[in-house]
Amino acid sequence: MYGYVIRRLLLAIPVLIGVSILVFAIIRFIPGDPARAVAGVNASPEYIEQVRRDLLLDEGLHVQYYVYMSNLLQGDMGRSTFTRRPVTVELMQRFPNTLLLSATAMAFAIVFGMAAGIVSATRRYSLFDNTSMLLALFGVAAPVFWLGIMFQLLFSVQLGWLPSGGIGTWKHLVLPALTLGLATTALIARITRSSMLDVLGQDYITTARSKGLVERVVVYKHALKNAMIPVVTVMGLQFGTLLGGAVLTETVFSWPGVGRLMVDSILARDYPVVQGAVLILAVLFVTINLVVDIIYAFLDPRITYGSKEVE
Amino acid sequence: MRKYLFGFLVLLLMTGLLFGGCAPDEEVVDEPVDEEPVDEEPVDEEPVDDQNLVIAIGAEPESLDSLLMNSAPAATVSEHMVETLVYLAVDGTLEPGLAESWEPTEDGMAWDLKMREGVTFHDGEPFNAEAVKYNLDRFMAYGDFEGETAAIYAFLLDQINEFEVIDEYTLRLHLDQQFAPIISHLSHSFVGMHSPASLEALGADEALENPVGTGPFKVINWDRGEEISMERNEDYWGGAPELETVTFKFVPESSSRVIMLETGEAHAIMAVPPTEIDRLEADAEIDVVFENSVRVIYMGFNMEREPFDDARVRQALNYAVDKQAIIETIFQGVGEPSSAPVVPAVFGYEQVGPYEYDPERAMELLEEAGYGDGFEVELFHPTGRYPQDDVVTEAVQAMLAEVGVSASLTTYDWGTYLDTVIVPPEDAEHDMYMLGWGTVTLDADYGLYALFHSTQWPPRNNVSYYANADVDALLDEARVTPDTGVREGLYAEAIELIWDDAPWLFLHNEGQVNAVRSNVHGLIHHPLENILAWDAYIE
Repeated sequence: MYGYVIRRLLLAIPVLIGVSILVFAIIRFIPGDPARAVAGVNASPEYIEQVRRDLLLDEGLHVQYYVYMSNLLQGDMGRSTFTRRPVTVELMQRFPNTLLLSATAMAFAIVFGMAAGIVSATRRYSLFDNTSMLLALFGVAAPVFWLGIMFQLLFSVQLGWLPSGGIGTWKHLVLPALTLGLATTALIARITRSSMLDVLGQDYITTARSKGLVERVVVYKHALKNAMIPVVTVMGLQFGTLLGGAVLTETVFSWPGVGRLMVDSILARDYPVVQGAVLILAVLFVTINLVVDIIYAFLDPRITYGSKEVE
Repeated sequence: MRKYLFGFLVLLLMTGLLFGGCAPDEEVVDEPVDEEPVDEEPVDEEPVDDQNLVIAIGAEPESLDSLLMNSAPAATVSEHMVETLVYLAVDGTLEPGLAESWEPTEDGMAWDLKMREGVTFHDGEPFNAEAVKYNLDRFMAYGDFEGETAAIYAFLLDQINEFEVIDEYTLRLHLDQQFAPIISHLSHSFVGMHSPASLEALGADEALENPVGTGPFKVINWDRGEEISMERNEDYWGGAPELETVTFKFVPESSSRVIMLETGEAHAIMAVPPTEIDRLEADAEIDVVFENSVRVIYMGFNMEREPFDDARVRQALNYAVDKQAIIETIFQGVGEPSSAPVVPAVFGYEQVGPYEYDPERAMELLEEAGYGDGFEVELFHPTGRYPQDDVVTEAVQAMLAEVGVSASLTTYDWGTYLDTVIVPPEDAEHDMYMLGWGTVTLDADYGLYALFHSTQWPPRNNVSYYANADVDALLDEARVTPDTGVREGLYAEAIELIWDDAPWLFLHNEGQVNAVRSNVHGLIHHPLENILAWDAYIE
């Protein structure tokens, strides 16, 4: 197991190098001159030239990448071209906010999604099942942007219960987390339901029931654990999506997260910040995938990661 | 190992339950919830109406360092803490700021500025001519700052070659040549006076986070991505303001700003979307404020290309577009059709328009020019930069089609757009392009020279490649003419020529719409798209 984890961590290195090259190249393929974007319409051509020199934009791509990487290895992600602050500082201020928002949304989604999925599966075609699956369909389909504004109108303007935006207390967290988490809740509910139905139809469940086990034990001990594998996969993938996809929620609720920072930075052609943000998200994504793979082994003892079995 | 994993999963689920419990289900909503929105400021305990003002604006300042400031939000925030030598009032007059008075030397090649005495920076450092020289040298990369990067807006003062301290409170500006609008340029929000000690304390590569100026408010804290808060400067030379604190919140989504105003989380918001105006006006607790802007929106012609090398074609297109309809339908009546290349508030403005909507006249002119059968053009425009920019462009496209001009649109985001259109004629892909220009000094030089003088072709901002020797001469002369009456006449003449040459399809003067809760008084809504809370108070 430890060997597996170490191997996976080593494997992450080429992945991250690949990500760094990709994002480095892609942001530069987007037309638009960062120097011009920084300086705006009014600045003099001389100023723009100078910014280009400062940013090494006149150098070849390989030179730029070499400088970027050698700085990165020393822990220096460069400076934002827009604010001139160190990228690490920009990210460290925003990243915890995004993490908090995404984790809360995910926790919400796991609890409510799984609960709804399990109940729906065990009471198939009941009123609860039909209602919650209809809601789930709505949850998956409703655009985050619209949903956020509707929540604001209802809970902030009409009822006055919760602040409409910003960050601070737990109250500030509720609406954005709900908005962000709803689609994932719905997805998890649907996956849990279908996976549970699949498992509940299998022979060993019939066996368990015929042994006279109470239904609760059948469902939660025998069925749920086996039904969890696709659910955990989706959770892992969704958590990554939440991190990267929080941008709309962050915009609607003025949540100072990394998603908004990234979009602003792309629009401003702020190369160092975009590179740094994508890299951090990639690191997190790789980590989450590793955690998910490890959870598999816990859920299904048949899955092992010993080198002999794998190779 | 299993146990750990199980523990991890349990932990995950527990976190889930913990936070899941926070979701607004029945249980939670029954809890008593404060009516007041919670602000994470030191002023938390106090009710909002205790002179703590919150203003929601659409964008965050990129920086509050004079060297790097580049946007109206930066100017708005900065103006509360850092002052300029000269203040440009709402009506366009130049009023004493940190400089009490100014006058040119006899030959007009220098100006002497007399600084206000008894002013101190927020850190207790004295304000004097040395401090001003320090700031301006840094701004221009002169003197001790030789070799460093000048400010983005250094072009404002590039007619000045030296700042000389005459005595403790007198600074002399030495000019390359006479330059009449120099005092207007000093009024620009980006030419603010910071405490030299605070700037020296900055590391070589450190960004300025907490501006130390002389203004009515002192910075408390800047939470990036969220808000900047400031408190009353009890020692302000102009008398301490009424407000205890002012907080600018950065709320990019306009509908979220509106909601914040409705819930009372903000006292004032900037840039109300046109579609929300009626709803807010119907609310008795909210005042909607309409103010002019200094920005004109236009579609420039590529005069180096057929058919726009022909003035009749350019005029025809000006007649073909119904500017009033654009204002009424797209902007709900906010703004006005352009009546000159600069807005009326600008010194030197002369009303020469608007070009009336007259498609028949447009057809005649096109016929005359030999384009009776119409033609095709490439129209480039940005999206998300100016209010409703894409919608306006589509409206123009539809109206041009009415007179036989078929425009195909190319849309870019701002970062790409500038790079695509501000290019020399040989690289231009566009026949027409949309841009806007704010004459932020409220002096016609700023609005005309950069856009219409033939020395200002790209990479500068005369993107129409306009060149008229008479206009050049008038603009050159107006620059060096100290007599304001004569200058006005020169600009009037230049504006008439430009209007007839029609290097642009003149569209509209932008309007700005802010909204304020009706218990807030004394906010200044500035045409420079600033909102100033210096003298504001909450009732």
